[in-house]
Amino acid sequence: MTIRPMIRRRALLLAAALLIPAAALAQTELPPPDPRLAAAANQIALAHVATGDEAVDRTAAEGLAGLSLAMALRTTVEPGPPVAVDLDADDLSLLTFLYWPVTDSQPQPSPQAYVRLNRFLRAGGVILFDTRDGDVAGLGAPDGSAALRRLAAPLDVPPLAPVPQDHVLTRSFYLLDDFPGRWSGNPLWAEAPANPADAPAAGFRSLNDGVSPVLIGANAWAEAWAIDDRGLPLYAVGRGYDGERQREMALRFGINLMMYVLTGNYKSDQVHVPALLDRLGRESDGGRP
Amino acid sequence: MTALAFDPLLPWAAVGALGALGLLAAAVAWWRGLRGWGFRGLAALALTAALAGPVLDSGIRRSLSDIVILIEDASASQTLPGRAEQARAGVDALAASVGALPGTELRRIRLGDDPDGTLLGAALTQALAAEPEGRVAGVIAVTDGRAHDPAAIPAGAPAPVHVVLTGQPADWDRRLVIDEAPAFGLIGQPVTIRLRIEDQGAVPPAIAGGAATLRLSIDGADEQVLAVPPGVVIDVPVTPAHAGQNVVSARIDPPEAAPAQLTDLNDTAVIQIEGVRDRLRVLLVSGEPHAGERTWRNLLKSDTNVDLVHFTILRPPDKMDGVPIEELALIAFPTDALFRDRIGDFDLIIFDRYRIRGILPADYLENIRRYVEEGGAVLVASGPEMAGVESLHLSPLGPVLPGRPTGRMLEQPFRPALTDAGRRHPVTAGLPGAEGAQPAWGRWLRMGEIIPDAGAEVLMTGAADQPLLVVNRVGKGRVALLTSDQVWLWDRGFEGGGPQLELLRRVAHWSMKEPELEEESLSAQVAADRTVTVTRHTMGDSAGPVTVAGPDGQTRTLALTDEGDGRFAASFAADRPGLYRLADGDLTRLVAVAAAAPREFEETVADPAALAGLVEATGGSVARLSDGVPGVRAVRAGRPAAGMGVAAPWIGITPRGAQSVEGTTRRPLMPQWAWLALIAGLALAAWLVEGGRLRGRVQDQG
Repeated sequence: MTIRPMIRRRALLLAAALLIPAAALAQTELPPPDPRLAAAANQIALAHVATGDEAVDRTAAEGLAGLSLAMALRTTVEPGPPVAVDLDADDLSLLTFLYWPVTDSQPQPSPQAYVRLNRFLRAGGVILFDTRDGDVAGLGAPDGSAALRRLAAPLDVPPLAPVPQDHVLTRSFYLLDDFPGRWSGNPLWAEAPANPADAPAAGFRSLNDGVSPVLIGANAWAEAWAIDDRGLPLYAVGRGYDGERQREMALRFGINLMMYVLTGNYKSDQVHVPALLDRLGRESDGGRP
Repeated sequence: MTALAFDPLLPWAAVGALGALGLLAAAVAWWRGLRGWGFRGLAALALTAALAGPVLDSGIRRSLSDIVILIEDASASQTLPGRAEQARAGVDALAASVGALPGTELRRIRLGDDPDGTLLGAALTQALAAEPEGRVAGVIAVTDGRAHDPAAIPAGAPAPVHVVLTGQPADWDRRLVIDEAPAFGLIGQPVTIRLRIEDQGAVPPAIAGGAATLRLSIDGADEQVLAVPPGVVIDVPVTPAHAGQNVVSARIDPPEAAPAQLTDLNDTAVIQIEGVRDRLRVLLVSGEPHAGERTWRNLLKSDTNVDLVHFTILRPPDKMDGVPIEELALIAFPTDALFRDRIGDFDLIIFDRYRIRGILPADYLENIRRYVEEGGAVLVASGPEMAGVESLHLSPLGPVLPGRPTGRMLEQPFRPALTDAGRRHPVTAGLPGAEGAQPAWGRWLRMGEIIPDAGAEVLMTGAADQPLLVVNRVGKGRVALLTSDQVWLWDRGFEGGGPQLELLRRVAHWSMKEPELEEESLSAQVAADRTVTVTRHTMGDSAGPVTVAGPDGQTRTLALTDEGDGRFAASFAADRPGLYRLADGDLTRLVAVAAAAPREFEETVADPAALAGLVEATGGSVARLSDGVPGVRAVRAGRPAAGMGVAAPWIGITPRGAQSVEGTTRRPLMPQWAWLALIAGLALAAWLVEGGRLRGRVQDQG
């Protein structure tokens, strides 16, 4: 039992002694990245947090698959298959978007996981927290707010505010005035708009093209998006025609959300493009005889 | 000087009380009819005086010599022909005549050059402050009067200030004055330089009022010749042609007349105008939303000098979902406006993962190719679409792109690395983290394989040493190709990340011909001691020698030493002020070396105006050495301090008669025994009178 490790250690020492430029060598021989995550990076796959609750995780995966399919059918973005992320083990820097269904039963991630999560948020990643309790929230019944507080407390979350009606999320692809999921009528929270009086905003706003690193809602979006292998919806949304309309709006929200995550404030800048083009023309008329 | 003082033996109150008591006793004696009361009173007063201790104070004094301050202006303007000898002879003669005056000391002060010109005011103030005010009998300044610190000239002095001017009455000078010159100018937009020609002194009639020939050139080319009459302010428009330093040199032809003007040094002026671009207009075309899009947006939007026009293809033409148009926030891509009408307005077009989807017709891509060849810039960052049939390389834009895709994607992690060319190319040289044999950067996960064009420069390599960043020049324009779309992994900090902002910024600015990022550059810096350091940056293995043409037309060659990574440098000492033209092949650069004391030669004709106030306030005078060296006489203060003598004018100093006190003595007014005798005598007289012994005489007298 003890002889083998000793031999191995000796062999290592020998190797280290023989290969002086070991540091350079070690750099070239980094372990290959997790193939699942590498594929996610290449294909902009949507990712969700593996909460440990089997039913919730399955629904999240099915929901993201439904959203991915809708995006592939309707937009230029064709995401790869959704990825489940183990916060305690996986490197988040290959991802862009993380869907986090909030459950009471999820064990608290490790401090290292929160270090990675905070780095992810600072580097431009976006997390959508979904408490999935839009039907009961605010009625006094037990809801997901306690679990959300517990899970999100260690994150560097900027001050939040309900998304205003002129937010770029309402027009990043479709025009929306609500962000329904399986439930509707609950506010979606995002980074509070900067006070115009403040100096040029530091932090997320300037780094991230104005993209809120964290979005929080209660509308159980994954359940509205979820499809089975044949592409049929898995959960009932509302009732009758209105319900199907709500499911369509939930998908439109999902698409708007992903466009927001990927293109930032592109759509709100586009308002200025005609003026900018106009100015280009005028200046060139005036500047060059 | 002697003074009476008191040194009382008792406190003053006791002395006063005793005196009062004595007088009271005398009064009582008078009231009682004692005949000796008067003597009693005198005795009491004498006693009081004795107690008050009167003493005589007297000082020991010595007469002090007078001080004459002689300031010799030895600044560069005094080196004009004839002036140095004239000033030296004048100063020596003045020193001799001051030395001949009895009881007079001379303080000679030599005033040298300062970068700010002749600091005559400061020298005067300092010299006056260093001497005791009561001994200064005169100040003589031998100068051309051109003080460059008029505010420091003192308002007054304790003695007459005489200005003795150098120069000749026939001195004259014509100079070029730049009234206004901008330090910055937009490229291609004219800026105005306001200048005039000024004549000073006794201008020969043949020249007076005649126009001067002004030659103006930018970077040594396109000489404009203008005839400018003296005294007329003219505005000359010049147009900065390129970014960075535009050197405008203005020169007037030296007027030909006898006598010649004092100096040619103020007939030229060099104005450096920093050419700046108007806001850079960047068109970013994203073929699809992807994880790296915000990296581009963050880069371009954080650059305050960039106007970003961004379009992303959110929905391709072949995908329809039946959603009514009023529920969509999509707008049509204004291809017509962008790629036909306004394409020339953009400084850079970036294609970010763009694939040919039938949105841009071939005509427009053809237009972009022409735009590049005519001086535009295109930057392509491509993902897997480059390897497919929708690749931009297969479009009419393809021929100008710096590589041809093989159609293979290299889907493996790799660490970007600099090539040898990349280590010296300004775009990638010195990227943060690139030090050492292998850059300390995170890996990327895929890239497309290309075969770079023969003339293209491969700056970075990726998987299997395949080209990752390739740049090239096409016609007058520039193209850059990044064969991977995963620069955003550096942004996210994957495996530590990398300098994505710096890399993309430099690629973009190199495409837009930022002068600091030119591969072949020649720059020069002038140090304070007029050493010119020439730096040549090149992609080649050797450079130089650099030819240096000086202001006198002489050329020399300068061998450069290799400093590694494409930097070559050398330095030389510029011994003459003026323009130096550096050339290495097609690269030229103008360097302006200023005169050692530029302000000294701005105005050269001697003029006492700056000192006139001080001269008037102190009752001094202005004399000219050309009228003969004035003699020095002593006059009383308030009398005229200058005049015309038999042979030469004279100037006056006012002896101050200053004395110093070296000690004091204190002697009592009377010795103690004399006081005793006086008091005793008075008391005795009172006794004798009252005793009747002096009655007879008193009665006889009465």
